Amino acid sequence: MRRRDFFKTSVVASAALSLNFDGLQAALASNTAAMEAAPDLVAVMGGEPEAMLDKALEALGGIGKYIKKGQKVVIKPNIGWDRTPELAGNTNPLLIKSLVKRCLNAGASKVTVFDHTCDDWQKCYKSSGIEAAVKEAGGIVLPGNDERYYKSVTIPGGVKIKEAKIHEALLEADAWINVPVLKNHGGAKFSCAMKNLMGIVWDRRVFHSNDLQQCIADLCALQKKPVLNIVDAYRMMHQNGPQGKSAADVATTKSLLASTDIIAIDTAALGLFNQVKKLEMAAIGHITKGETLKLGTTNLEKLNIKRIRV
Amino acid sequence: MKQTGKKQVNHLKRLRASLAILFFVPILLYFVDFTSALPQEVHTLLHLQIIPAVLSGAVGIIVLQFILVIVFGRIYCSAICPAGIFQDIINRLFCIGKKKRKGAWRFSYHKPLNILRYLLLTVTVVTAVFGITTLVVWLDPYSNFGRVATNLFRPAVMWGNNILADVLMRLENYSLYHVTIHTVTKAGLVSGIIAITVFVALAVSRGRLFCNTLCPAGALLSLVSRYSIFRISFDEEVCNNCGNCERSCKAEAIDSKNMKIDTSRCVTCFNCTSACTKKSLRYRFRPPFLKDRPSVADKAGTVKSGSRRSFFATGATIAASLPVISTIAQYSDLPDGDAVTAEDNIDYKNLPPVTPPGSVDLERFKDKCTGCHICVVRCPTQVLRPAGFQYGFDYLLRPHCAFESSYCNYECTVCGEVCPVHAIRRLDKEEKRTIQVGIATFNISRCIVYTEGTDCGACSEHCPTQAVHMIPYEGTLTIPQVEAELCIGCGGCESICPVRPHRAIVVVANNEHRQVAPPEEEEVKEYEIDGFGF
Repeated sequence: MRRRDFFKTSVVASAALSLNFDGLQAALASNTAAMEAAPDLVAVMGGEPEAMLDKALEALGGIGKYIKKGQKVVIKPNIGWDRTPELAGNTNPLLIKSLVKRCLNAGASKVTVFDHTCDDWQKCYKSSGIEAAVKEAGGIVLPGNDERYYKSVTIPGGVKIKEAKIHEALLEADAWINVPVLKNHGGAKFSCAMKNLMGIVWDRRVFHSNDLQQCIADLCALQKKPVLNIVDAYRMMHQNGPQGKSAADVATTKSLLASTDIIAIDTAALGLFNQVKKLEMAAIGHITKGETLKLGTTNLEKLNIKRIRV
Repeated sequence: MKQTGKKQVNHLKRLRASLAILFFVPILLYFVDFTSALPQEVHTLLHLQIIPAVLSGAVGIIVLQFILVIVFGRIYCSAICPAGIFQDIINRLFCIGKKKRKGAWRFSYHKPLNILRYLLLTVTVVTAVFGITTLVVWLDPYSNFGRVATNLFRPAVMWGNNILADVLMRLENYSLYHVTIHTVTKAGLVSGIIAITVFVALAVSRGRLFCNTLCPAGALLSLVSRYSIFRISFDEEVCNNCGNCERSCKAEAIDSKNMKIDTSRCVTCFNCTSACTKKSLRYRFRPPFLKDRPSVADKAGTVKSGSRRSFFATGATIAASLPVISTIAQYSDLPDGDAVTAEDNIDYKNLPPVTPPGSVDLERFKDKCTGCHICVVRCPTQVLRPAGFQYGFDYLLRPHCAFESSYCNYECTVCGEVCPVHAIRRLDKEEKRTIQVGIATFNISRCIVYTEGTDCGACSEHCPTQAVHMIPYEGTLTIPQVEAELCIGCGGCESICPVRPHRAIVVVANNEHRQVAPPEEEEVKEYEIDGFGF
């Protein structure tokens, strides 16, 4: 929506807006034809993680659009729980493996992967299969278990959270990619791209005690935004999230979403989630609160969405 | 008087030292290894320790130790006990750069402190029988060593690691990572400092005085070692009374003037046979039932009967005081009281300790645990921490589940596997997932959802069995509810609850652990989706 308003009125993008719309910047730099070709959101269904990732990246105009030669890149999956990939508590390791490879192929000087886990970090990194996947692909796995790794930054746009300790790997990176797994969530109701950012902060206690939904939205207003969000919905935990009890909590939906718009991608992911379990947008305060903070749009109608079946 | 003759290779001493290294190094590394790099099986070495074996009733190991001591003497003290070897290392370090007379040969014969030694042993045994294991905790050499390693060596190694990790990380090397030390509590630290101070002070001033006076394992072994079949003895014909043996004896057990050796205190280190240039002192086959060694038998006999007399005397004293002790033992059960479990009236200050899964019940655990802290160091989530006085004097230094910042991993059974006393019973994974060590108790009046009217649910997030689950509250809000029959008391909920100073959900310990049904297994359904849904 805003993108179109923007064109119609031919207003020069404000600094804040341009930060949110890296895709748009790239499009402006080239021409309108490229702009039309590059969708705001890509949804892929029916393939294996690697194949779906490639389809999505291709539709978006290639990983080179987001990752430049020589850049230090951080990939932030969800590795929160001591769970095997089949239980869908964490991002699919095959997706992470392919993504690390794509970033390195795009010329990234270094690709680092971390999460501030809930369960013991070493168990999580191992059980999730992500540590092994990253190492095989040539990336680096960093722990997020110690306060020492975190540095305080201000979040000017935040309502409740105006300062947070963020993992230094992310702060020092030239670009970072947000790769959540789509899940039901006991506290936030829904865990996807926005909620995944809670894994980049040290003190989550203040989040829970200061209006969790608002805090999640505030955190997404962090100046250092992901260059791309990729939602893993190959397996989806539709109940008992975010940890899950058993395979009965998991639906195999074989899907993947990609977008620079964190609000839009969560809105779309909710649509996908609703295919399995009903969940009202109204219950997921952080998405609408994020829209209020002008972090993106929930109005998918006005976006250029590309749907791909593999 | 020649002090240094031609040095001969002393095979027995070498063998003793090699054995000591073989036992000590893995045990030490097992305590300081914070990365869990060592194989879990190293804990087998801990099960060989005498006090843990006695407390756990490991008949096989007790028999093995008995055979060792009756045949070879107190090999245990020189080659198996980490505290004994640790004192030898302290002694070795002390001797660096010193002349023999001031260093390795600085000892002299002292009479045994038998009254103290056997009084301590008797009181330790009797009180332990009556369920007061305080003396065992404070005197067991292995546990004392454990506390030194856990609370002093391990944090030092971790700090070293952190410094190195920081340097390496600046060089873009990520092979090491920063670790946080959660397990060192004030009580643990003080106990470690006390233990190392005693070891250093006694080892430097009086050699193995700890082992021959304070140590209940040493005292126990001494009752048998005085009859050991192989023992060090004098050949009076060749002895020239040079006194080197006496000066080299860290057990202060050789009276060279009278050519007497107190076998009850000899720890078979073979330092004396090294020091003896005349080959008078040798490790010989001298079974007590053979009467063909007049000189040795007589002289050992005087020592023996003296100590036996004092042993019986102290035994009688203890027997007379039994009623008193048993009264104390009963009294010690009282102060614990029952937990207040009413939902909105949690008595936060007087909650009983949550004992590790497998410890069965609080009283049993207190009776068995010697506070060696091996479970504390091996616990991957660092939830087990040594208690101070908060649970009473009789729980001092025992590990408890501290849910301040951590919780017990649903799948983990490590503490039970490593516990040498079986104070924490071995559980298999399936059993562990159904052992209820306590029950999460929810206090709605403190809950964020109730007080602030905002979403939280952190407790439910961390609940592996979904005993803590979210139910509809006002509007779109949901609030936690606990199903006690599913809760295993892992503390996931308590560890993450953001409410302070007291949390809205806390685990109230079961003084007796219960077994609950495993979470019901739901049927795995296939979900067909026909579109993206947007």
